[in-house]
Amino acid sequence: MNDISNNIKKVLMVFLIFFIGIISYITYFEIIVGPKIVNNAYNRRLWVKRNEVLRGTIYDRNGNPLTKSERIDQETQKREYTGGEIFAHVLGYVDIKYGITGLERKYDEQLMATNIQDNIKNLIKNKGKNEEKVGNSLKTTLDLDVQRKAYDLLGDNRGAVVALDPKTGEILAMVSKPSFNPNNLQEIWKSINENKERPLINRASAGLYPPGSTFKTVTAISALENMPSVKNRSFDDNGSLYISNDYSLHNFAGEVLGNLSFQQAYTHSSNVVFGTLGLELGNDKLKATAEKFFFNKEIPADGIPVEPSKFPVLKKYEKGSIAQSAIGQSADLASPLQMAEVTSTIANDGVMMKPHLVNEILTSKGQSIKSIEPESLGQIISADTAKTMKDFMRSVVNEGTGVNASIEGVEVCGKTGTADHQAEGKDAPPHSWFIGFAPYDNPQVAVAVIVEDGGQGGKAAAIIASEVMRVALKK
Amino acid sequence: MDASRDEKKLLRYTYLLCLVCFFNLAIIKQPFDKGAMVMSVVTCLLVGYSYFIIRKFFSDGDKYIFIFSSILSVIGMVMLYRINMAVSIKQIIWFAIGVTGFILIVVLLPDLKSFSKHKYFYLIVTIVFMGMATLIGTEINGSKNWIVIGNYNFQPSEFGKLFFVAYLASELKDYKNFKDLIRPALIVMLCLGFMVLQKDLGSALIFFGISITMLYIATSKFRYVAICIGLFAAGATISYKLFDHVKIRVLIWSNPWPYANGKSYQVVQSMFSIASGGLTGSGLGLGHPEYVPVNTTDFIFAALCEELGILIGFGIIILYFLLFYRCMRAAVYGEDEFSRLLVVGYSAMIAAQVLVIVGGVMNAIPLTGITLPLVSYGGSSMLITFFSLGIIQKISEEGR
Repeated sequence: MNDISNNIKKVLMVFLIFFIGIISYITYFEIIVGPKIVNNAYNRRLWVKRNEVLRGTIYDRNGNPLTKSERIDQETQKREYTGGEIFAHVLGYVDIKYGITGLERKYDEQLMATNIQDNIKNLIKNKGKNEEKVGNSLKTTLDLDVQRKAYDLLGDNRGAVVALDPKTGEILAMVSKPSFNPNNLQEIWKSINENKERPLINRASAGLYPPGSTFKTVTAISALENMPSVKNRSFDDNGSLYISNDYSLHNFAGEVLGNLSFQQAYTHSSNVVFGTLGLELGNDKLKATAEKFFFNKEIPADGIPVEPSKFPVLKKYEKGSIAQSAIGQSADLASPLQMAEVTSTIANDGVMMKPHLVNEILTSKGQSIKSIEPESLGQIISADTAKTMKDFMRSVVNEGTGVNASIEGVEVCGKTGTADHQAEGKDAPPHSWFIGFAPYDNPQVAVAVIVEDGGQGGKAAAIIASEVMRVALKK
Repeated sequence: MDASRDEKKLLRYTYLLCLVCFFNLAIIKQPFDKGAMVMSVVTCLLVGYSYFIIRKFFSDGDKYIFIFSSILSVIGMVMLYRINMAVSIKQIIWFAIGVTGFILIVVLLPDLKSFSKHKYFYLIVTIVFMGMATLIGTEINGSKNWIVIGNYNFQPSEFGKLFFVAYLASELKDYKNFKDLIRPALIVMLCLGFMVLQKDLGSALIFFGISITMLYIATSKFRYVAICIGLFAAGATISYKLFDHVKIRVLIWSNPWPYANGKSYQVVQSMFSIASGGLTGSGLGLGHPEYVPVNTTDFIFAALCEELGILIGFGIIILYFLLFYRCMRAAVYGEDEFSRLLVVGYSAMIAAQVLVIVGGVMNAIPLTGITLPLVSYGGSSMLITFFSLGIIQKISEEGR
């Protein structure tokens, strides 16, 4: 008898150790393993939690809905983008499988936040049913008409259009082509990822291109600020600028422009004159001016993925490159957003405004929660310089390379660019650029347009810019 | 008299638990769910009436065995009602049948000593039940240990367990020397072999646990236990080398993440479930145990941890240990060696089952699908558990 109770004690002991072991393991699991795994993408509870709130709506500046959310079941809601391909890059997308990008990502928290709560009062008011929780809405700065126009005008070309309000930095339109339809990612995901034209990239802010002659705007500013006498100087353009025995710089299509004032040199886009100025200014000064405009830096831009534009550091003896860098070639690279900011700084008397996409956060019922005020990025150039540049840019459209950008009844200012580049080691057709703003005396809209391989800036890009500005000004 | 007051107190807490949990389930539904309240009242009545009968006619036995199993059954019923109402209604019927069986065994079964004589009968029945599914079994949820008769599925090895313990008890009661162990050892190995072939590794582990516990109680020799563990390890290694399904189980256990959407889907979902619950759980009805597969049987512990928290999980484990302790305590009062071994065997069976399935859903050991006794849904599991508990109860009466 004694024997068995002893044995039983021992067996109980062993089992007790096992039971304590399992409790200890659960404790370990809860403290060490648990926190690491709960956020695993396979854990469907996370999506259920997100799905408690019906995602808020994104509107354009005039209150047109750009998205529509609909609940499907416990875990999923369908997000429809009413603009489809037109707004794909700027709005981004949200998808269980492919993640969350663009504006959807930046304002995710607001779109999922709600002021509708479960409480006894509401429960009684709604006769025992909980009110559907709907997230906050965003009122964006985008203009459906401008965006659609820009999208249509780019046609089948690759390229981008950015339109800003120069006084506030509000982005009226931001288009990148080729685009994709965020409403059926499932079907197109594989093809848009394999596509060599890379439709997922937002060319408007993350696409870097040689800015070509549009960069002469920056060079002209640098000259005006560093060499006060330049305004009254006269230049002699004999069609080529001799740099070394085996290298000289030519004008577009071998033009000889003859005797020119500084303004005329800008108006007719003389490579010879601006190459000369680049050499006179030197890399340091030109780079300092470019960097004031946020070259080599990231423009703060409200969650839009911005690729910093580039201006090279060059040694004194690299004369060819220094001259090239002054006319937007060499290693200069700029995004359309960057060039739109350059032109809107001039339009806004030298003050650069932070580009932004959202004006106001509203509740699902339309009450304002928070409005986002325009923010200045500083006085980049003096008001005088800005005034001079405005005049220069007006003459480009009135009598120079940019006549195609003119709009009847509006004084348009601008600058064209025809950017040489190479594709697969060979010279490719140049990119067509246009930057500008309108109207001259009270600028309402600033644009930057690039048409990849589009040829002369004074043609393809200028025509698009003119139409986009016309729609934005409602003329 | 004091003892009876404590019992009644505990019983009152059981009713309270039952009422509160079902009331919770009733109010989370819109509109108010009257069915949940009916369930709670029926459950309380069943528990109370059974206790009354046991107390009235057999006041000598250990009533805590019944009370602990009632608490566990109540917890199970609440969770089942939360997951699937229809299943919980079936479960309450099984619970009623189980409790009836429990009482009938205590009331009607003659002296247990007389049962020790049918050694060969147990031997044959054990082998028939164990072997049955290997020959004519159907594979469900990755284990080929089911027999399908019409609409009804059952696991013969579940019933085999009862006879397995009875056989070992009748064989080991006459233990004198090493020679007496050879035949039972062969039978145990045969059974384990059948289980491995049926891909039912959990049952194999449980049979092993039962066997060495009984062996130790019968012989008091640690040496034999060590030898058995050695043999088991060797057997495990061989079956790992030989059978792909064993390899897969071990592979999933060592790193479930690469197969989260495939082979290890179940255990990964179970781990999410437990991890999401945290210490205090999401609250009854507020979690998502529906994402865990087979959540009414094998994975009910994960569902419990998710909604009620691991604190309740600990409580359940402690309750099982208390139940195990009360059962083992009955062995001390057993009149003869056969009864004692029977008690030890059945107690070890329940405890081992708890350890294997709780360890499995946490991925602490390779997962094998078995039920959590009394809590999981399952007719055969419920009947067998109450049957074993009835025998233990009976023996606890005899001794007094």
